[in-house]
Amino acid sequence: MFSPKSFKAGSLAAALTLGTVLAAGDALAHAVVTESSLKEHPIQVNHATKVVLFFNSNVELALSKVFLVSKGDVHQPVDIARGKKPGEVMISVPALTEGDYALKYKVFAADGHLTEDVIRFKVTAQR
Amino acid sequence: MYMQGLANFIDDFLGGLMLISYALVVGSILWSFVILKVTTAEVAAESVLSRSIKVLHIGAVALAASVGTKLVIKGLVLASTLGELPLGAYAGTVQFQAGLLRFFLALGFLWATRKLSESPADPTGWKTTLWLTVPLVISGAWLVHAVGRFEERALLMATTVVHQFAAAVWFGCVAQLLALWRAARKDADALALWPVAIGRFANMGIASVVLLLLTGLPLAWVYIGSWDGLFGTGYGSLVVTKVWLLLVALGFAYLNNRAGRRWRENPGDNTLITKVPYYIEAETFILIGILFIAATLSSQPPSVDIPDRTAQVSEVINMFLPRVPKIHSPSHEALMAGEAGRVAVVDKVPSVAGQEWSDYNHNVAGLFLTGMGIFAMLSYVRRFHWAQYWPLGFIGLSIFLFFRSDAETWPLGPIGFWESTFGNGEVFQHRIATLLAFVLGYMELKARTRPDAKKLQHIFPMLCAFGGILLLTHAHAQFELKSEFLIQSTHTTMGLLAVIMASGRWLELRLVTPDGQSAVEGRIAGFVAILAMFIIGNFLMFYREPLY
Ligand SMILES: [Cu+2]
Repeated sequence: MFSPKSFKAGSLAAALTLGTVLAAGDALAHAVVTESSLKEHPIQVNHATKVVLFFNSNVELALSKVFLVSKGDVHQPVDIARGKKPGEVMISVPALTEGDYALKYKVFAADGHLTEDVIRFKVTAQR
Repeated sequence: MYMQGLANFIDDFLGGLMLISYALVVGSILWSFVILKVTTAEVAAESVLSRSIKVLHIGAVALAASVGTKLVIKGLVLASTLGELPLGAYAGTVQFQAGLLRFFLALGFLWATRKLSESPADPTGWKTTLWLTVPLVISGAWLVHAVGRFEERALLMATTVVHQFAAAVWFGCVAQLLALWRAARKDADALALWPVAIGRFANMGIASVVLLLLTGLPLAWVYIGSWDGLFGTGYGSLVVTKVWLLLVALGFAYLNNRAGRRWRENPGDNTLITKVPYYIEAETFILIGILFIAATLSSQPPSVDIPDRTAQVSEVINMFLPRVPKIHSPSHEALMAGEAGRVAVVDKVPSVAGQEWSDYNHNVAGLFLTGMGIFAMLSYVRRFHWAQYWPLGFIGLSIFLFFRSDAETWPLGPIGFWESTFGNGEVFQHRIATLLAFVLGYMELKARTRPDAKKLQHIFPMLCAFGGILLLTHAHAQFELKSEFLIQSTHTTMGLLAVIMASGRWLELRLVTPDGQSAVEGRIAGFVAILAMFIIGNFLMFYREPLY
């Protein structure tokens, strides 16, 4: 509803001069995904899968959440578990029908920063 | 949402305050040992020692307060982001524990400064305080980026801690110099120490700069790793900004050193008293800016980790290139129609109207600032005396912002004024920004045109510095897309210019000769400030938002 765009537009100007953009933001910080299994192993239709994400930093799982977002921006929390390697996080994705989806994650990095980010992906029938 | 935005902002801002208070504590200790020579027979006068202990005490209070608040705020951020707060897990994090340790150390410093203020020249008291400094500095290692990394973890942690230490010595000593100067106006001992302190600080300042570079370069090498990484990511561009500010700070340091040298050759040279204190004030603005950037840096992903989200240098340059400003806005209906698709997580549709609406806002605001810059430059020419009314532009700008910055709310949108102001963090902050633009314009107008309103003059540079720092602190790119970084690159540059603008105007106000005329250096500094405002205006005027 409150678009970050119009927000930025107006505030930038004021901020610059007297700079009072106490800008609320989607505070994004430091733990980013450097690799994901989605690239090499796309999710198949009607097939529950584990998606593996590699982060650039250690992640505190107890302080992190991942949501599966489907059409209409419906958010559904999914289970996460630690992988074998450091920075590896396993995400349990339920069986999905064809369409566009996204994984929205909020993770707490070991250096104390909370990161929110989105990974978009498509589910298509195998031809 | 409201709470989350505010808490996030406070969390970021506290990071900067924490670094500043840490630097005050650590720098003050070094100052006392190296410059006031507290453990030797040459120890400075008691009045001077008390003054120094006072600064140390302020640092300790600020450290305890900022670290303590940060622990709580971080919990709030977690709670509002995750919808719950697993307290046990939070208390188990390295961040929480290292923070708590720092909090107790800060309390230790409070206790130590109380003891010291009872007997300022007691070497044992000073040695105890020095011992407290060791764990304070070392604990920093668990509060930096490197702690979460997988490669070269220990080495990176150690290097960062040394880097922080060097910066702290510089900033803390500069703050102490300011305090000494304030004391020197009333206290003969402090006045006598002033030139000596400048001389002793010179060596320490040089040492800390060398240490800063020796540790900063390898850190930049590891975390950035390429030219595109340096110019095409949030992390890299903050480092570039930091280097620019560092150069300005070094310029001031050079002027101070030179004045000290001249005084030693010819004690009749009074630059040390007429100009140096004001250079040090301006240097403080710059150093505070640098510390805030440092805090922001730690919340950005290092460039090496986001090679696929890095912008090319040419794309960054393109953001700043001149073009015809957009002075036609899309209709409000068109803007609103595109919003739903633009903010969607799945099936995101970039909104052309949204982009044009934003371009228009930026470009018109840029026209205001550029215009003000031109009139302000003209006002230096006697014939164009009327041009001194240029701060009126801020009032115009605030009215413009009031109508344009939040399209969803009254008067353009469906949501009422009070409802939106107090129901949404972003809108609330905009309303404050808008109000401040208005107040700033009004006050600066009075300050420039009414001789009896001289006291108001300093508000303008203070608010500029504050604004610049906020811009730099809020350099959080939504690095989902590199276009977000491109927008951020303009933020950061303008934040840099705002800090320069602040210190320039400050110097102009401070560097006046006894007969009330402004000194040549002051006029130059004032012009640099106006020039910075003009350039900010230009960047805004040519701003084009990447479509996303
Ligand atoms: Cu971080």
